[in-house]
Amino acid sequence: MANLLFYLFSAIVLGTAVLVVASKNAVNSAMFFLISLMGTACLFVLLEAYLLAVLLVLVYAGAVVALFLFIVMLLDMQGGERKPFSRATIVASVIAAALLGVGVMSFLKHGQIASPVLEANTPAVGAVLKLYAAQLFTTYLLPVQVVGFLLLIAMLGVIVLSKRFEGLEDIK
Amino acid sequence: MTIGLNDYLLVSVLLFAIGFFGVLLRKNTLIVYMCLELMLVATTVALVAFSRYNRTADGNVFVFFILTVAAAEVAVGLAIIVALFRRRQTVQLDELNALKN
Amino acid sequence: MEPTSLALIVLLTPLASAVLIALFLRKLGGLASAVSVLAAVAIAAVGVTLTLGGDRFTASMPWLEIGTFTLSIGFLFDDLAALMLAIVGIVGLAVHVFSLGYMHDDSARARYFGGLSVFMFSMLGIVLADNLFMIFVFWELVGFSSYLLIAHYHERQSAADAAKKAFIANRVGDFGFLLGILWCYWAFGTVNLTEIATLVGSGTAVATAIPLLLFCGAVGKSAQMPLHVWLPDAMEGPTPVSALIHAATMVAAGIFMLCRIEPLFAAAPDALTVVMWVGTITAVYAAFCAIVQSDIKKVLAYSTLSQLGYMVAAFGLGSLHVAHGENVAAHTMVIAAGAGAAMFHLTTHAFFKALLFLGSGAVIHACHHEQDIFKMGGLKKLPITFATFTLGVLAIIGTPGLAGFFSKDAILYLAYANSKPVFVVLAFTAVLTAFYMIRMWKIVFLGDTRSENAKNAHENGLSLTVPLMVLAVLAVAAGYGAVYEKLAGTFAQLVPEAHGADHTLILVTSLAVLVLGAGAAFAYYPSSGSDRMAVKSPGAFAGLTLLRDSFDGLYGYYVRKVQQRFAMLLNFIEQIFLSGLIVRGLAGCVGLFGMGARALHVGSLHVYVYWFLIGVVLLWGFAVGSF
Repeated sequence: MANLLFYLFSAIVLGTAVLVVASKNAVNSAMFFLISLMGTACLFVLLEAYLLAVLLVLVYAGAVVALFLFIVMLLDMQGGERKPFSRATIVASVIAAALLGVGVMSFLKHGQIASPVLEANTPAVGAVLKLYAAQLFTTYLLPVQVVGFLLLIAMLGVIVLSKRFEGLEDIK
Repeated sequence: MTIGLNDYLLVSVLLFAIGFFGVLLRKNTLIVYMCLELMLVATTVALVAFSRYNRTADGNVFVFFILTVAAAEVAVGLAIIVALFRRRQTVQLDELNALKN
Repeated sequence: MEPTSLALIVLLTPLASAVLIALFLRKLGGLASAVSVLAAVAIAAVGVTLTLGGDRFTASMPWLEIGTFTLSIGFLFDDLAALMLAIVGIVGLAVHVFSLGYMHDDSARARYFGGLSVFMFSMLGIVLADNLFMIFVFWELVGFSSYLLIAHYHERQSAADAAKKAFIANRVGDFGFLLGILWCYWAFGTVNLTEIATLVGSGTAVATAIPLLLFCGAVGKSAQMPLHVWLPDAMEGPTPVSALIHAATMVAAGIFMLCRIEPLFAAAPDALTVVMWVGTITAVYAAFCAIVQSDIKKVLAYSTLSQLGYMVAAFGLGSLHVAHGENVAAHTMVIAAGAGAAMFHLTTHAFFKALLFLGSGAVIHACHHEQDIFKMGGLKKLPITFATFTLGVLAIIGTPGLAGFFSKDAILYLAYANSKPVFVVLAFTAVLTAFYMIRMWKIVFLGDTRSENAKNAHENGLSLTVPLMVLAVLAVAAGYGAVYEKLAGTFAQLVPEAHGADHTLILVTSLAVLVLGAGAAFAYYPSSGSDRMAVKSPGAFAGLTLLRDSFDGLYGYYVRKVQQRFAMLLNFIEQIFLSGLIVRGLAGCVGLFGMGARALHVGSLHVYVYWFLIGVVLLWGFAVGSF
């Protein structure tokens, strides 16, 4: 059963990811991204990281993708005509695909990590919220504070960037 | 066959590759950005898988931070894109070549 | 006065004249011409005095010392030099006087006379030099003054081109010459002519290449094949220049130089064969080309080429065994008969060719600068010009009693004794010589006047006729032993003389040749306005014209296709490597780096991502352990 779910969710994630890359319309891409995130959240649930699954949905799917959609609408893009790929792009893409393919192959052949067999009853550490929070506020307290600071700076930066500047017409 | 760590890692790698291709191939800045986020999601999958199979909490906590940072990054990045759009009236990557030569 | 001082006066007077004209008298044509003519008078007077006086000497002074190598300036005044000095002095004076009248109306007279003075200086330098380096220096100077004088009418593109062609052809020959001098120095340790003669005489081996390379210089200067192409074009210069430089003296410098290095040839006889054939081929080729010329000066130019070929062939015929003494005490001696015959012919040729050129100058001047022989005719009404010119023509075709007869006979006898094929070819060339000379003479002087210019022609003034008369006298007299021995001293004894049966044979041959050629031309060509050969047998005419143009075409092709491409390749190498990398060095490299890095900034984000991918792949490969 778990295997089936894993395959299903993996298929959703990878399929919609391909569609994100391939769709012409930016709004469509955002929608597919959303579904991909849903699939990832399900994968997290399979991995017993429930908090993270919820956080993913709330923060990423809820805020980030919404923000993306806002900006897509704001910039009022006419999707549609796409210039055909130039020859250089095709060549480079083929090379990149080949490289990645070789990477995946090598990983499959040599990169196998002996995965420890899980006892059915041992819960993952991340599953128990209490333990998770304890880690967050003791061992990783400093990063939490720093990340908070980072968010503040990001907010400031966004406010500054959104102002209209006068007298910068000479900068192309 | 039980799903092992390797399968999750394979999913992560493939997702990362798809995201990378999206960055390479798409010309719309916003979609490129979305593919960047795809790559980040792929790394989170890998981290959680590792954390689960090694029975530590470090991976999960790291993902927490990744989520936060990604959110901040998206905000700032989109603000830059909007400012760029205001100046150049376009977000097609091949037209944004002011740094050429 | 000391002979050495006299020689110095001879050498330096024209230099002083040239300097004076160049610095002060550029605008004063009359004064410049007077200065130059006075210098010529001085040279002639002092030169002939030295020659007839009988003093022979050497003198030397070191000029440049670099380590163990010394370049010295010196005089080697032996019989050979004395002979040349007399020729140069007399012909030079005649030409200078002639130029007074001929160039009287020219606006650039001063430049012309300055050039003449430079030429006299350079030529005398060659004549008096005692070592090969000095000869080379003055050799180049002579080439330079020839360039100056050919381009006298420099407004004409053809004149400028001709001067360039002359200089370049000479330069090619001089390259071989310089190589020969360097090899000579390397082989013998000296370039002094007397020292070389001593060394070779005492048995040092001489590589055949040395005299052949030195011969290259003569090929260039004396316009032998394949470097003969410049001489016909050099007729663009004023006629007195052609008379002095391209008939009598400069082109003879090659022969003179050959005679100077004769000991080297004696030690390497194979070189002589090459010289002989080069001369023979030039002689016959030029004679063929002369038959179809319509410009009076071009006929004379090709005739000069042919006669120079004779001289070179004579030199190449080498030595002769001569019997001396009575029957009992008879012994045979080997004499450098080639050199002797060549110098003899050079002397007579200098006189009658200068006469012919100056005569043609007189004709041209009388016809108001008309040079086409088919537009002249009936000019026998110019008495002095006609008489002297006829004497010159008779001399060159070898009429008995005139100078050319004796010298040509000497060459024919030498050829008969040493190489029968060459004898046949040279005899045939003599037929052709008579043929084209009589053709020209008849068309120019006999018949009716064919153009306005010819109708209005009248005899020229004194300054143009007196030199003609003087040279005519010499053209008659210079062949006789008495006169020649006075000029040449012991060198006259080297002239080969036939005796007995051979003597008769040669005499008969030369008379037959003369009658055949002259009679044929006289009969074939009417004195008409067009070339009879062109009209009656155009095939032959076209063939001969093609013969003439073929060399120019060949050289033109070579320069365009081969040399230009090579030059462009060298230019490319020079720009990229020499002035790019090596000269600008580190700055250039940094610049190149900068340009390369700049090319990476394409401005496209995708390209940057690709670079990123490549970096990741490399890192990953490194981590995997592929490197």
